Amino acid sequence: MKRYDLIVVGAGPSGLSAAIEAARCGLTVAVFDENAKPGGQLFKQIHKFFGSKEHQAKIRGYKIGETLLSEADAVGVKVFLNATVSGMYMDKEILVRRGDAMEHCKADAIIIATGASENMVTFDGWTLPGVIGAGAAQTMMNLYSIQPGQRVLMLGSGNVGLVVSFQLMQAGCEVIALVDASPRIGGYGVHASKIARCGVPFYLSHTITKAEGPDCITGVEISQVDDHFTPIPGTQKHFDVDTICMAVGLSPMSQLLKMAGCSMIDDPRRGGQVPLVDENGETSIPGIFAAGDVSGIEEASSAMIEGRMSGLSAAAYLGFLSEKDKDSSLNELEVALNSLHQGMFAPGSKGKAFTKTDEGIAVSQSLLKKGYLDEADIARFNHFDKKSGVHPVIECTQNIPCNPCQDACPKDCIKIGKTITALPRIDADSTCTGCGMCVASCSGQAIFLVDEDYEPGYASITLPYEFLPRPQKGDLGTALSRSGQPLGVAEIIDVRSAKAFDHTTLVTMKVPVAQAMTARFYKREAQRAEL
Amino acid sequence: MNRISEHPILGNTEMGRKVAFFMDGKQMEGYEGEPIAVALKAGGVMIHRYTQKNHEPRGIFCAIGRCTDCVMIVDGVPNIRTCITPLVSGMRIQTQDGVTALEVTE
Ligand SMILES: Cc1cc2nc3c(=O)[nH]c(=O)nc-3n(C[C@H](O)[C@H](O)[C@H](O)COP(=O)(O)OP(=O)(O)OC[C@H]3O[C@@H](n4cnc5c(N)ncnc54)[C@H](O)[C@@H]3O)c2cc1C
Ligand code: SF4
Ligand code: SF4
Ligand code: FES
Repeated sequence: MKRYDLIVVGAGPSGLSAAIEAARCGLTVAVFDENAKPGGQLFKQIHKFFGSKEHQAKIRGYKIGETLLSEADAVGVKVFLNATVSGMYMDKEILVRRGDAMEHCKADAIIIATGASENMVTFDGWTLPGVIGAGAAQTMMNLYSIQPGQRVLMLGSGNVGLVVSFQLMQAGCEVIALVDASPRIGGYGVHASKIARCGVPFYLSHTITKAEGPDCITGVEISQVDDHFTPIPGTQKHFDVDTICMAVGLSPMSQLLKMAGCSMIDDPRRGGQVPLVDENGETSIPGIFAAGDVSGIEEASSAMIEGRMSGLSAAAYLGFLSEKDKDSSLNELEVALNSLHQGMFAPGSKGKAFTKTDEGIAVSQSLLKKGYLDEADIARFNHFDKKSGVHPVIECTQNIPCNPCQDACPKDCIKIGKTITALPRIDADSTCTGCGMCVASCSGQAIFLVDEDYEPGYASITLPYEFLPRPQKGDLGTALSRSGQPLGVAEIIDVRSAKAFDHTTLVTMKVPVAQAMTARFYKREAQRAEL
Repeated sequence: MNRISEHPILGNTEMGRKVAFFMDGKQMEGYEGEPIAVALKAGGVMIHRYTQKNHEPRGIFCAIGRCTDCVMIVDGVPNIRTCITPLVSGMRIQTQDGVTALEVTE
């Protein structure tokens, strides 16, 4: 039987982070993952991540995975792929299936970082080919370069549903509608706005009542639901779609911990059955730890911190790290973790309806119901003295754990401060040069550059663009509002891409000055009537 | 065509070697090493199997080897999860009906 100081199950962000910390302290570490590729959820994520600079914010998910992997390599962590851990016992022995072979391994400490699995909901016809999970959509389009469908309806408005909808559009698929039984959009407003401005309608308080098709999906029927989530007869709407994508939540994959006899609790706010752990991730069995989504559904940023904490704790448990060194490292990480646990989307805030931001500004109801800010909201959030010339307009109005915009600006125009969940503010004393770094760095694509004085009667608007084909200088197209409604002709006056922008193209369009605060997207075809 | 040849973030897709395989006796093309299910999807195949009891169609659902909806008969072996099994040149894939191959009338 193979022996290690530490076994980590799961090579996602939490497992790899744990393994790296432990190996740095001198432990021999083996990581097992059932996938053929390491990185867990990260390898399917092609968007720029939220979080702070220390937690790799604004870096695209798959890049974070690659970095973790090479770090793990460098410190001698052994990563075994296609290796499913199917059993774990109290004496820290595990059973691994690799191909047809079963293998026993033993360690002095074990960290479980198995992540989460996707939830499903059932409706008439839900087993038909063409109904897929959001993870499946990501796997197909981002790993294997195949469109999951041509016309897709997304069920679920949490961050996964919002992010995957955007990724579907990037893959060239059409997202017909986003449906959620909840009366409010569950994910970040900035994610919702990215798809709303492309014209995707949101149907809140709606659910799928029927997936249609003889032997694969040809359409879908949705209905409005009442306060008890029961469909209201007579409210049906039909859409022609070939794919229904489900993004209805994740559940911790905590079976191994249960099997080993760790104390478990049911906690809906953490996503289901999770192990009882102390602040460093240690379960009720000494030397067995849990980190990442398996101990409560959160984010990669927190999963990495939790992973590092459990890795250090395992090292201390086995005597590779003095209590003093352990405490000082852990304190630092705890501060970082706490900072992520603030704001409206903190694990403890789940299900609460916020009416005001931490700053005391009334939240946008339009954002929660329709996915975009209405004009009155904008005035509430963008209170600054406008100087002449180009300046940033920041449409980020919820307290989310994110701050790359602050670090991005070489002129210190944007301030968030120490509390990472605070709203970004524009510093009136700094002068914007229009460099565009903030636009490209914003993970939520919520920053625009506006110049009301571009030409007499015309304003210029610079926006982030991540679709193909990219607009070209001189193109005429249509300016779209925050809700994706056509506003009139827009002329592309500048298109910028740079290595520092990391595949986000900065498109600048010229629109009538009256649209300076309403035009937020660009569609390539022009409206003929107005030319 | 539902292959993504150029992506705004991921760039140009690098495909493996083009190979031929057989789906219910009909010749199709795919890229070596990609999951069988991806090659089938590119060729427009949606139904992977029919359930034993009610003869209901099933296709890709999880795409990561967990749900078993996508299982088919591959080179004579039933219950192969096509979403995680790499395509090999000349493979014979058959729609699974219960636990046996679906009878195909040519
Ligand atoms: C669409 C989407 C968008 C997201 N966007 C963001 C974002 O912008 N910012 C952010 O911070 N987070 C984001 N997240 C969340 C983030 O991806 C997850 O919170 C994070 O990946 C959790 O890390 P983990 O290591 O706990 O689990 P995972 O990444 O899920 O990794 C778990 C690993 O364990 C393996 N495993 C499971 N069971 C076994 C077993 N029995 N044997 C062997 N291996 C096993 C799995 O194969 C997997 O590789 C997003 C998630 C999704 C789905
Ligand atoms: S465009 Fe450049 S200078 Fe202006 S706010 Fe953004 S990052 Fe700062
Ligand atoms: S404006 Fe700043 S805090 Fe808001 S999403 Fe963009 S980068 Fe994050
Ligand atoms: S689609 Fe779920 S196992 Fe293949």
